[in-house]
Amino acid sequence: MDWNLIFENSLKGFIGINAVYFAIAALGLNVQFGYTGLLNFGQAGFMACGAYGLGMTAHYFDISFWWGIPIGILFSVVLGLLMGIPTLRLRADYLAIVTIATAEIIRLVVRSVKFKTYFGGSDGINGFSGSFRKLGNDFGIQESDKYGFWPFKFTGREFWVLIVGWLLVAIFGFVVYKLMKSPWGRVLKAIREDEDAVKSLGKNVYSYKMQSLILGGVIGTVSGMIFALDRGSVQPDNYSRDLTFYILTALVLGGVAKVSGSIVGSMMFWGLFTFMDNFLRQVAKDPVSIGNFTIMKSTQVGQLNFILIGITLILLMVFRPQGVFGNRKEMAFDGR
Amino acid sequence: MDAERTYGETAAQAREALQSVDRVPGSRKPNPILTADNIRREFGGIVAVDVEHFEVQKGSITALIGPNGAGKTTFFNLLTGFDQPNSGQWNFNGKSMDGVASHRTAALGMVRTFQLTKSLTKLSVIENMRLGATDQKGEKWWNGLFAGLWKGQEAEITERADQLLTRFKMDHMRDEYAGSLSGGQRKLLEMARALMTNPTLVMLDEPMAGVNPALKQSLNQHIRGLRDDGMTVLFVEHDMDMVHDISDWVIVMAEGRIIAEGTPDDISSNTAVIDAYLGTRQGQSLLEGE
Amino acid sequence: MKSSPIARLLILATAIFSVLGFALSPAQAEDSEYALRIQVKDQGRTADGKTDNQPVPGVEITVTDSTGSVVETGVTDAEGIVIISVPTRADYTVSLNEATLPSGEQLDAKTPAIQNVLTDSFVTKTKVVTYFTGDSQNVSQSGFERVAQRFSDGIRLGLILAMCSVGLSLIFGTTGLTNFAHGEMVTFGGIMAFVFNVTGLTFLGFLSFIPGIQDDGTFHIFWAAPLGIILGGGFGWALNKGIFGPLRRRGIGLVTQMVLTVGLSIALRNFFLSRFEGRTRPFADFSLQRAWDFGPVSITPRDFIMSILCLAILIVTALGLRFTRLGKATRAVSDNPDLASATGIDSEKVIRLVWILGGCLAAAGGIFRGLDEQVSFDMGGRLLFLLFAGITLGGLGSAFGALVGGFVIGILVEVSSLVVPTELKTAPALVILILVLLLRPEGILGRAQRVG
Repeated sequence: MDWNLIFENSLKGFIGINAVYFAIAALGLNVQFGYTGLLNFGQAGFMACGAYGLGMTAHYFDISFWWGIPIGILFSVVLGLLMGIPTLRLRADYLAIVTIATAEIIRLVVRSVKFKTYFGGSDGINGFSGSFRKLGNDFGIQESDKYGFWPFKFTGREFWVLIVGWLLVAIFGFVVYKLMKSPWGRVLKAIREDEDAVKSLGKNVYSYKMQSLILGGVIGTVSGMIFALDRGSVQPDNYSRDLTFYILTALVLGGVAKVSGSIVGSMMFWGLFTFMDNFLRQVAKDPVSIGNFTIMKSTQVGQLNFILIGITLILLMVFRPQGVFGNRKEMAFDGR
Repeated sequence: MDAERTYGETAAQAREALQSVDRVPGSRKPNPILTADNIRREFGGIVAVDVEHFEVQKGSITALIGPNGAGKTTFFNLLTGFDQPNSGQWNFNGKSMDGVASHRTAALGMVRTFQLTKSLTKLSVIENMRLGATDQKGEKWWNGLFAGLWKGQEAEITERADQLLTRFKMDHMRDEYAGSLSGGQRKLLEMARALMTNPTLVMLDEPMAGVNPALKQSLNQHIRGLRDDGMTVLFVEHDMDMVHDISDWVIVMAEGRIIAEGTPDDISSNTAVIDAYLGTRQGQSLLEGE
Repeated sequence: MKSSPIARLLILATAIFSVLGFALSPAQAEDSEYALRIQVKDQGRTADGKTDNQPVPGVEITVTDSTGSVVETGVTDAEGIVIISVPTRADYTVSLNEATLPSGEQLDAKTPAIQNVLTDSFVTKTKVVTYFTGDSQNVSQSGFERVAQRFSDGIRLGLILAMCSVGLSLIFGTTGLTNFAHGEMVTFGGIMAFVFNVTGLTFLGFLSFIPGIQDDGTFHIFWAAPLGIILGGGFGWALNKGIFGPLRRRGIGLVTQMVLTVGLSIALRNFFLSRFEGRTRPFADFSLQRAWDFGPVSITPRDFIMSILCLAILIVTALGLRFTRLGKATRAVSDNPDLASATGIDSEKVIRLVWILGGCLAAAGGIFRGLDEQVSFDMGGRLLFLLFAGITLGGLGSAFGALVGGFVIGILVEVSSLVVPTELKTAPALVILILVLLLRPEGILGRAQRVG
């Protein structure tokens, strides 16, 4: 067993690009779910807005890459309105149902043959991130060089995305923190607990919920952009229901209604995930069996990891809904 | 027993004005702040509320009483936009409120509390209070980021909130989570928070439910204080002692309709009311209150 | 004696996982890390006028890597599938030898003979590449015939959705919980029946004196289906007993429980994936049948029998809810839990019944779906949003609403494929969902809620 490699990979997973885009998406989900109590189960749809906003600049619009940022944000605002208008006046479950359905339909639409001219079908879109990488070069980061120190060694290409990514985590972390300390954030937290009380005090709850849904969605969109830039491609099947669920797990792991919870949760999620993945892969180099019964083969490691994610989420909900570091008194996505 | 009580100017006026009002259901008041006509609400064929005419005298404390299921809370919900009637018209301060969303009614000066208290338990007491203030610049999300834009207003709001907390003798709990308060204290907090909206009409849904006797007295004082400050109070209550004690006018509902109106003394001798209550525990206390 | 919730959870998990794990372990796959799974399907209408994506065997497939050298050449098996192991995640080119297609068959324009697989498209270890032959639009059919055929397909999907929805809606009605793992309860039924029907339980081989049971422990579908349904009911019971009952008693909030069902869904789906693997597999019986022609509509005996059975189950369910004491109690709790408990109905008993009934019906839906299409690890998960659309349309919490809503959505989805591309045929369900919420959020059979 190569512990050195396991730890190196795990530590890299801890601060790697996966943790970055999860952290941003979880910040957005936190605004909606953690602070306002909105059950957005379609964050993957918002992320797809960002990724496709970037991708379509090259694939369909044939305009400068940078236009992808406002286009992606525009997509996500439209998506937020589409999800919010029918549901935000109704009880919370409806939003969950509509968001999960809408995100799924978005995935089907962007991967469809019918709309291949716009979204590239099931192959997705490549070759849109040149300008972004060139900017990295302009800052003096050579793509093929190695940067960092053990265990955090990255290629120039990874390093540049990481710098931008963590910068964005810092910016959005700060923005969300500030907003939640403001009277605006106070209204959101109050809505999470009892929207009738907030209505009776003269606040337009519907409008605040919409603002929260869209702000969280736009942050999710930025996460999708970083995700796409890291991969250098947009793949429709990456934006499945499970992506939202894993981000939700990361958020709950770190603790809802806390800015640090989204960030730490995402780092923990990927640190642990990478550790388990590497560890189990080494264990399962040869199939593990008891007698004739195969417990685990190397091909099953991936699934076992996801099973563990699911079980983690179940156990968190039963025993520590406030997350590993959360404070139960402040945390309340359930008004009880 | 009312001899030693002193009234504010508006309150005395309200009392005097109400002396000449007819003691019949749906009677006209000289200076109504809230009027309603033909309000009807059905739930799956069952008529919950069917009020022909309803007026609340400005500057008065008006009690809305009636046995369980009389439709009092539903009527409250309809008046404040939390529920929509099948038909009907109602005006507040001369403005038609039909189709006005619940949050708009509060902004217009008509604020309500709830039968089951809705203190926001995971916010501190002072944050609960601050939330009540209307027209906050910092409640616009684009201003939220720039504390400079709303810090000044926030300080004013906090000062006003602290004054109210002191008046309601809750200043020592200022920074605690509202969840740690007792039931009675939550009622007080909810009332104080409602006052942060600077209302002209305060609608209290069972302010005494679950409040211990010691606190009841001070709650009575506070409600009288609202009237003395020029506000109008409309409240739903089962506690007949309290109704008798503080209200200037009593409106009785049963089975969705208004069946009687009058001063507290009129009502406790009204046979229709006693009939409506008969056999209920509240009926007992009504008779005892006589 | 009271066991802690974690103990219950562990017992439950171990029990389910070991049963399934044991049963499914013989299913062996290629041991290579990465693989390309190439499938060739005939989407053209056969003589019966029906598209059911029949496998095309005997087609030669070649995989080359980015340097152009051949990795491996294979030929599709009876299921129209060939799995080619590749050394690592990289770009590959898959090419189909069109000369080896059955005579008269042509590749659909959507899937050219040469397809590129990119490094990034390996979402899991196995990348699926699909070829279609034939043309999905059969010009020989008249417009009316196509509508009639879609309608008849829609009825089958609608019956299945109606069946799966009842549990989802009743669980919501009686406990307030929106169960995002309901799709996995559907899959559970399908896979359980598959285990009895195809994999076989060798230790049950001694039962082979009973007609329909073989020496190797495989059961005819007429045995496997009821067994799967019973296990599905048991699964529902266990979920309530092991997880949701204790959570309710501890007063755990609904949102917490709802997020928990998300975790449950992730864990179960990946468990099914790891044991059942990513392939879709048919039941052993009735996979190929000649269709009967009824004027414009043709239907295979299997589909016909299936529809009749579905309908029978639904009618029994509806009658049961309408006329039996427990059924009435269930609807009472669902309509108004407070009032029901005030009238002395034991709501916990009702909730237990609802979980068992919901589990049975979900499993039955999964089995019928598996017969209609095939069994796969996420067959239920993919239906989930149609189920939600159905119960919202019918009215959340209403059992009859779920029946009607699911049925309507099923027909709508199939019929809509006449105008929208097949790959997007579920999109109209979302449109319906949004319209219902905008116009009549209580659904067609739901009642407006009293506020305050």
